[in-house]
Amino acid sequence: MSGGGVPFTVAGLRAGAAGVAALAASVFAYGIAFGVLADQHGLDMMTTLLMSGTVYAGSAQIVALQVWTTPVPLLAVWVSTLAINARYLLMSAALRPWFGRLDRLSAYGSLFVMADGNWALAMRECAAGRTDAAYLLGGGLIMYASWVTATALGHGLGQFISAPRRFGLDFMLAAFCTTMAVTMWRGRTDVWPMAAAAVVALASEHFFPGYWHILIGALLGSAVGAWRHDHRP
Amino acid sequence: MTIDPDVLAAIAGMSVATYVCRAGGFWAMGLVPLTPRVTIWLESIPIAVLSAILAPAVAQASPPEVAGFAAAFLAMRVSGNDFVGAISGVAAVGVARSVLGSGP
Repeated sequence: MSGGGVPFTVAGLRAGAAGVAALAASVFAYGIAFGVLADQHGLDMMTTLLMSGTVYAGSAQIVALQVWTTPVPLLAVWVSTLAINARYLLMSAALRPWFGRLDRLSAYGSLFVMADGNWALAMRECAAGRTDAAYLLGGGLIMYASWVTATALGHGLGQFISAPRRFGLDFMLAAFCTTMAVTMWRGRTDVWPMAAAAVVALASEHFFPGYWHILIGALLGSAVGAWRHDHRP
Repeated sequence: MTIDPDVLAAIAGMSVATYVCRAGGFWAMGLVPLTPRVTIWLESIPIAVLSAILAPAVAQASPPEVAGFAAAFLAMRVSGNDFVGAISGVAAVGVARSVLGSGP
Protein backbone atom coordinates (compact mmCIF):
# COMPACT_ATOMS: atom_id res chain seq x y z
CA MET A 1 0.00 0.00 0.00
CA SER A 2 2.08 2.94 -1.19
CA GLY A 3 1.65 5.56 -3.88
CA GLY A 4 3.73 8.28 -5.48
CA GLY A 5 6.85 7.59 -3.47
CA VAL A 6 5.35 8.05 0.00
CA PRO A 7 5.77 4.86 2.03
CA PHE A 8 2.91 3.50 4.14
CA THR A 9 4.36 0.55 6.03
CA VAL A 10 3.97 -1.57 9.15
CA ALA A 11 7.25 -0.11 10.39
CA GLY A 12 5.74 3.37 10.13
CA LEU A 13 2.62 2.17 11.95
CA ARG A 14 4.80 0.85 14.78
CA ALA A 15 6.87 4.03 14.98
CA GLY A 16 3.69 6.10 15.23
CA ALA A 17 2.29 3.83 17.93
CA ALA A 18 5.52 4.11 19.96
CA GLY A 19 5.54 7.90 19.54
CA VAL A 20 2.20 8.42 21.30
CA ALA A 21 2.88 6.21 24.36
CA ALA A 22 2.79 9.07 26.88
CA LEU A 23 -0.06 10.84 25.11
CA ALA A 24 -2.14 7.67 25.17
CA ALA A 25 -1.91 7.71 28.98
CA SER A 26 -3.48 11.16 29.11
CA VAL A 27 -6.10 10.20 26.50
CA PHE A 28 -6.94 7.28 28.77
CA ALA A 29 -7.34 9.54 31.80
CA TYR A 30 -9.45 11.97 29.77
CA GLY A 31 -11.56 9.07 28.46
CA ILE A 32 -12.30 7.94 32.01
CA ALA A 33 -13.37 11.47 32.87
CA PHE A 34 -15.71 11.50 29.85
CA GLY A 35 -17.15 8.10 30.78
CA VAL A 36 -17.92 9.31 34.31
CA LEU A 37 -19.56 12.50 32.98
CA ALA A 38 -21.61 10.59 30.42
CA ASP A 39 -22.89 8.31 33.17
CA GLN A 40 -23.78 11.32 35.32
CA HIS A 41 -25.67 12.87 32.38
CA GLY A 42 -27.76 9.75 32.01
CA LEU A 43 -26.23 8.27 28.84
CA ASP A 44 -26.25 4.48 28.94
CA MET A 45 -23.15 2.41 28.20
CA MET A 46 -24.14 1.65 24.60
CA THR A 47 -24.84 5.29 23.72
CA THR A 48 -21.62 6.40 25.37
CA LEU A 49 -19.55 3.84 23.47
CA LEU A 50 -21.30 4.67 20.20
CA MET A 51 -20.40 8.32 20.66
CA SER A 52 -16.78 7.68 21.59
CA GLY A 53 -16.34 5.15 18.80
CA THR A 54 -17.85 7.20 15.97
CA VAL A 55 -17.11 10.81 17.00
CA TYR A 56 -13.75 10.31 18.76
CA ALA A 57 -13.28 13.96 19.75
CA GLY A 58 -12.92 14.45 23.50
CA SER A 59 -13.59 18.16 23.86
CA ALA A 60 -16.57 18.10 21.49
CA GLN A 61 -18.09 15.14 23.33
CA ILE A 62 -17.72 16.78 26.75
CA VAL A 63 -19.25 20.03 25.48
CA ALA A 64 -22.13 18.07 23.90
CA LEU A 65 -22.87 16.63 27.36
CA GLN A 66 -23.26 20.16 28.73
CA VAL A 67 -26.24 20.80 26.45
CA TRP A 68 -27.54 17.20 26.47
CA THR A 69 -31.21 17.10 27.53
CA THR A 70 -34.24 15.04 26.48
CA PRO A 71 -35.04 15.51 23.65
CA VAL A 72 -31.51 16.26 22.49
CA PRO A 73 -31.08 19.81 21.06
CA LEU A 74 -29.69 18.59 17.75
CA LEU A 75 -28.63 21.92 16.27
CA ALA A 76 -26.79 23.02 19.42
CA VAL A 77 -24.94 19.70 19.62
CA TRP A 78 -23.97 19.72 15.93
CA VAL A 79 -22.91 23.36 15.78
CA SER A 80 -20.81 23.13 18.94
CA THR A 81 -19.13 20.00 17.55
CA LEU A 82 -18.28 21.82 14.30
CA ALA A 83 -16.98 24.85 16.19
CA ILE A 84 -14.73 22.85 18.47
CA ASN A 85 -13.33 20.71 15.69
CA ALA A 86 -12.88 23.48 13.11
CA ARG A 87 -9.15 23.53 13.92
CA TYR A 88 -8.90 20.10 12.28
CA LEU A 89 -9.61 21.79 8.91
CA LEU A 90 -6.33 23.64 9.09
CA MET A 91 -4.41 20.66 10.47
CA SER A 92 -5.57 18.33 7.71
CA ALA A 93 -4.84 21.02 5.10
CA ALA A 94 -1.22 20.93 6.26
CA LEU A 95 -1.10 17.20 5.49
CA ARG A 96 -1.92 17.76 1.80
CA PRO A 97 1.60 17.87 0.28
CA TRP A 98 2.46 14.63 2.13
CA PHE A 99 -0.78 12.60 2.23
CA GLY A 100 -1.85 13.81 -1.21
CA ARG A 101 0.59 11.29 -2.66
CA LEU A 102 -1.11 8.35 -0.91
CA ASP A 103 -4.00 6.29 -2.22
CA ARG A 104 -7.40 7.60 -1.11
CA LEU A 105 -8.18 4.80 1.33
CA SER A 106 -4.91 5.24 3.26
CA ALA A 107 -5.26 9.02 3.31
CA TYR A 108 -8.94 9.35 4.21
CA GLY A 109 -8.82 6.34 6.54
CA SER A 110 -5.89 7.81 8.48
CA LEU A 111 -7.69 11.15 8.78
CA PHE A 112 -10.46 9.52 10.83
CA VAL A 113 -8.02 9.08 13.74
CA MET A 114 -6.21 12.41 13.31
CA ALA A 115 -6.08 14.25 16.66
CA ASP A 116 -3.91 17.07 17.99
CA GLY A 117 -1.19 14.84 19.43
CA ASN A 118 -0.55 12.34 16.65
CA TRP A 119 -0.91 15.09 14.03
CA ALA A 120 1.78 17.27 15.63
CA LEU A 121 4.10 14.27 16.04
CA ALA A 122 3.53 13.21 12.42
CA MET A 123 4.20 16.72 11.06
CA ARG A 124 7.50 16.79 12.90
CA GLU A 125 8.35 13.30 11.65
CA CYS A 126 7.75 14.44 8.06
CA ALA A 127 9.73 17.66 8.54
CA ALA A 128 12.66 15.53 9.77
CA GLY A 129 12.58 13.61 6.49
CA ARG A 130 10.92 10.46 7.83
CA THR A 131 7.98 10.34 5.44
CA ASP A 132 6.33 7.01 6.26
CA ALA A 133 2.69 8.17 6.25
CA ALA A 134 1.47 5.25 8.39
CA TYR A 135 2.98 7.13 11.36
CA LEU A 136 -0.24 9.16 11.81
CA LEU A 137 -2.46 6.08 11.70
CA GLY A 138 -0.19 4.11 14.08
CA GLY A 139 -0.42 6.80 16.74
CA GLY A 140 -4.10 7.41 16.02
CA LEU A 141 -5.11 3.78 16.47
CA ILE A 142 -3.44 3.58 19.90
CA MET A 143 -5.09 6.83 21.00
CA TYR A 144 -8.46 5.71 19.59
CA ALA A 145 -8.27 2.38 21.42
CA SER A 146 -7.31 4.19 24.64
CA TRP A 147 -10.22 6.60 24.26
CA VAL A 148 -12.88 3.97 23.64
CA THR A 149 -11.59 1.57 26.32
CA ALA A 150 -11.27 4.32 28.93
CA THR A 151 -14.76 5.61 28.12
CA ALA A 152 -16.22 2.21 28.89
CA LEU A 153 -14.12 1.91 32.05
CA GLY A 154 -15.10 5.38 33.24
CA HIS A 155 -18.78 4.73 32.56
CA GLY A 156 -18.66 1.38 34.35
CA LEU A 157 -16.68 2.15 37.47
CA GLY A 158 -15.86 5.82 37.28
CA GLN A 159 -16.78 6.65 40.84
CA PHE A 160 -13.97 4.42 42.12
CA ILE A 161 -11.25 6.09 40.07
CA SER A 162 -9.61 9.19 41.50
CA ALA A 163 -9.45 12.41 39.49
CA PRO A 164 -6.68 12.49 36.85
CA ARG A 165 -6.07 16.11 37.80
CA ARG A 166 -4.41 14.96 41.01
CA PHE A 167 -1.56 13.43 39.05
CA GLY A 168 -1.19 16.35 36.67
CA LEU A 169 -2.39 14.22 33.72
CA ASP A 170 -4.63 17.03 32.49
CA PHE A 171 -1.36 18.88 31.74
CA MET A 172 -0.10 16.23 29.30
CA LEU A 173 -1.19 17.92 26.06
CA ALA A 174 0.29 21.27 27.16
CA ALA A 175 3.53 19.50 28.14
CA PHE A 176 3.65 17.73 24.79
CA CYS A 177 3.04 20.92 22.84
CA THR A 178 5.94 22.48 24.76
CA THR A 179 8.36 19.66 23.93
CA MET A 180 7.26 19.67 20.28
CA ALA A 181 7.64 23.43 19.97
CA VAL A 182 11.21 22.96 21.23
CA THR A 183 12.10 20.44 18.52
CA MET A 184 10.02 21.91 15.67
CA TRP A 185 11.62 25.31 16.08
CA ARG A 186 13.34 25.99 12.74
CA GLY A 187 15.05 29.17 13.88
CA ARG A 188 14.41 32.79 12.93
CA THR A 189 11.83 31.96 10.21
CA ASP A 190 9.50 30.82 12.99
CA VAL A 191 9.68 33.91 15.19
CA TRP A 192 7.00 35.87 13.29
CA PRO A 193 4.45 33.12 12.67
CA MET A 194 4.79 31.98 16.28
CA ALA A 195 4.49 35.47 17.75
CA ALA A 196 1.54 36.34 15.49
CA ALA A 197 -0.25 33.09 16.34
CA ALA A 198 0.28 33.68 20.08
CA VAL A 199 -0.93 37.30 20.05
CA VAL A 200 -3.95 36.56 17.84
CA ALA A 201 -4.85 33.47 19.89
CA LEU A 202 -4.74 35.48 23.12
CA ALA A 203 -6.86 38.26 21.62
CA SER A 204 -9.45 35.96 20.04
CA GLU A 205 -9.68 33.82 23.17
CA HIS A 206 -10.77 36.99 24.93
CA PHE A 207 -13.68 37.51 22.52
CA PHE A 208 -14.69 34.00 21.44
CA PRO A 209 -14.82 31.32 24.13
CA GLY A 210 -14.11 27.71 23.22
CA TYR A 211 -11.52 26.56 20.74
CA TRP A 212 -11.75 29.29 18.10
CA HIS A 213 -8.47 30.80 19.27
CA ILE A 214 -6.54 27.78 17.92
CA LEU A 215 -8.04 28.10 14.44
CA ILE A 216 -7.89 31.91 14.26
CA GLY A 217 -4.40 32.15 15.79
CA ALA A 218 -2.96 29.39 13.62
CA LEU A 219 -4.58 30.76 10.45
CA LEU A 220 -3.13 34.24 10.92
CA GLY A 221 0.18 32.98 12.27
CA SER A 222 0.77 30.68 9.30
CA ALA A 223 -0.35 33.44 6.89
CA VAL A 224 2.31 35.68 8.42
CA GLY A 225 4.82 32.87 7.84
CA ALA A 226 3.92 32.68 4.15
CA TRP A 227 3.87 36.49 3.78
CA ARG A 228 7.29 36.89 5.40
CA HIS A 229 8.66 34.29 3.02
CA ASP A 230 7.30 36.19 0.01
CA HIS A 231 8.91 39.43 1.14
CA ARG A 232 12.32 38.04 1.87
CA PRO A 233 15.06 39.76 -0.18
CA MET B 1 -31.23 -2.46 24.05
CA THR B 2 -32.42 0.35 21.81
CA ILE B 3 -31.30 3.93 21.33
CA ASP B 4 -33.74 6.83 20.83
CA PRO B 5 -33.88 8.12 17.24
CA ASP B 6 -32.98 11.65 18.35
CA VAL B 7 -29.97 10.38 20.32
CA LEU B 8 -28.88 8.41 17.28
CA ALA B 9 -29.34 11.50 15.06
CA ALA B 10 -27.34 13.63 17.51
CA ILE B 11 -24.42 11.19 17.53
CA ALA B 12 -24.53 10.62 13.77
CA GLY B 13 -24.48 14.38 13.17
CA MET B 14 -21.57 14.81 15.59
CA SER B 15 -19.54 12.12 13.87
CA VAL B 16 -20.22 13.55 10.40
CA ALA B 17 -19.35 17.09 11.57
CA THR B 18 -16.10 15.85 13.11
CA TYR B 19 -15.04 13.84 10.07
CA VAL B 20 -15.88 16.74 7.74
CA CYS B 21 -13.41 18.86 9.75
CA ARG B 22 -10.79 16.08 9.80
CA ALA B 23 -10.96 15.41 6.06
CA GLY B 24 -12.20 18.78 4.76
CA GLY B 25 -8.95 20.74 4.91
CA PHE B 26 -7.05 17.94 3.22
CA TRP B 27 -9.73 17.60 0.54
CA ALA B 28 -9.95 21.35 -0.12
CA MET B 29 -6.18 21.70 -0.56
CA GLY B 30 -6.42 19.06 -3.27
CA LEU B 31 -8.36 21.58 -5.38
CA VAL B 32 -5.62 24.21 -5.09
CA PRO B 33 -2.30 23.95 -6.94
CA LEU B 34 0.51 23.45 -4.42
CA THR B 35 2.64 26.42 -5.44
CA PRO B 36 5.77 27.23 -3.40
CA ARG B 37 3.84 29.96 -1.60
CA VAL B 38 1.00 27.58 -0.63
CA THR B 39 3.55 24.98 0.50
CA ILE B 40 5.35 27.55 2.68
CA TRP B 41 2.00 28.48 4.19
CA LEU B 42 1.15 24.84 4.93
CA GLU B 43 4.60 24.30 6.43
CA SER B 44 4.05 27.24 8.79
CA ILE B 45 0.84 25.73 10.18
CA PRO B 46 2.32 23.28 12.75
CA ILE B 47 4.35 25.83 14.70
CA ALA B 48 1.43 28.30 14.50
CA VAL B 49 -1.02 25.68 15.85
CA LEU B 50 1.34 24.82 18.74
CA SER B 51 1.79 28.50 19.51
CA ALA B 52 -1.96 29.18 19.41
CA ILE B 53 -2.64 26.23 21.76
CA LEU B 54 0.14 27.22 24.16
CA ALA B 55 -0.27 31.02 24.36
CA PRO B 56 -3.48 31.12 26.45
CA ALA B 57 -2.33 28.13 28.52
CA VAL B 58 0.93 29.90 29.37
CA ALA B 59 -0.79 33.26 29.93
CA GLN B 60 -3.27 31.74 32.40
CA ALA B 61 -0.93 29.22 34.02
CA SER B 62 -1.24 28.69 37.76
CA PRO B 63 2.06 28.37 39.70
CA PRO B 64 2.09 24.53 39.40
CA GLU B 65 1.55 24.83 35.65
CA VAL B 66 4.36 27.37 35.33
CA ALA B 67 6.58 24.75 37.00
CA GLY B 68 5.22 22.19 34.52
CA PHE B 69 6.06 24.31 31.46
CA ALA B 70 9.54 25.01 32.80
CA ALA B 71 10.16 21.34 33.59
CA ALA B 72 8.92 20.18 30.17
CA PHE B 73 11.04 22.79 28.39
CA LEU B 74 14.22 22.04 30.35
CA ALA B 75 13.83 18.25 30.25
CA MET B 76 13.29 18.44 26.50
CA ARG B 77 16.39 20.62 25.97
CA VAL B 78 18.48 18.24 28.07
CA SER B 79 17.12 14.86 26.93
CA GLY B 80 15.84 15.62 23.42
CA ASN B 81 13.10 13.06 24.10
CA ASP B 82 9.35 13.92 24.09
CA PHE B 83 8.42 11.20 26.49
CA VAL B 84 10.96 12.38 29.08
CA GLY B 85 10.00 16.01 28.47
CA ALA B 86 6.24 15.53 28.74
CA ILE B 87 6.40 13.19 31.74
CA SER B 88 8.70 15.67 33.53
CA GLY B 89 6.17 18.44 32.91
CA VAL B 90 3.25 16.34 34.16
CA ALA B 91 5.21 15.13 37.20
CA ALA B 92 6.18 18.70 38.08
CA VAL B 93 2.51 19.78 37.94
CA GLY B 94 1.41 16.80 40.03
CA VAL B 95 4.07 17.39 42.69
CA ALA B 96 3.59 21.18 42.74
CA ARG B 97 -0.19 20.80 43.14
CA SER B 98 0.20 18.44 46.06
CA VAL B 99 2.82 20.69 47.71
CA LEU B 100 0.96 23.95 47.08
CA GLY B 101 -2.40 22.36 47.72
CA SER B 102 -4.09 23.93 44.70
CA GLY B 103 -5.56 20.64 43.51
CA PRO B 104 -9.11 19.35 43.83
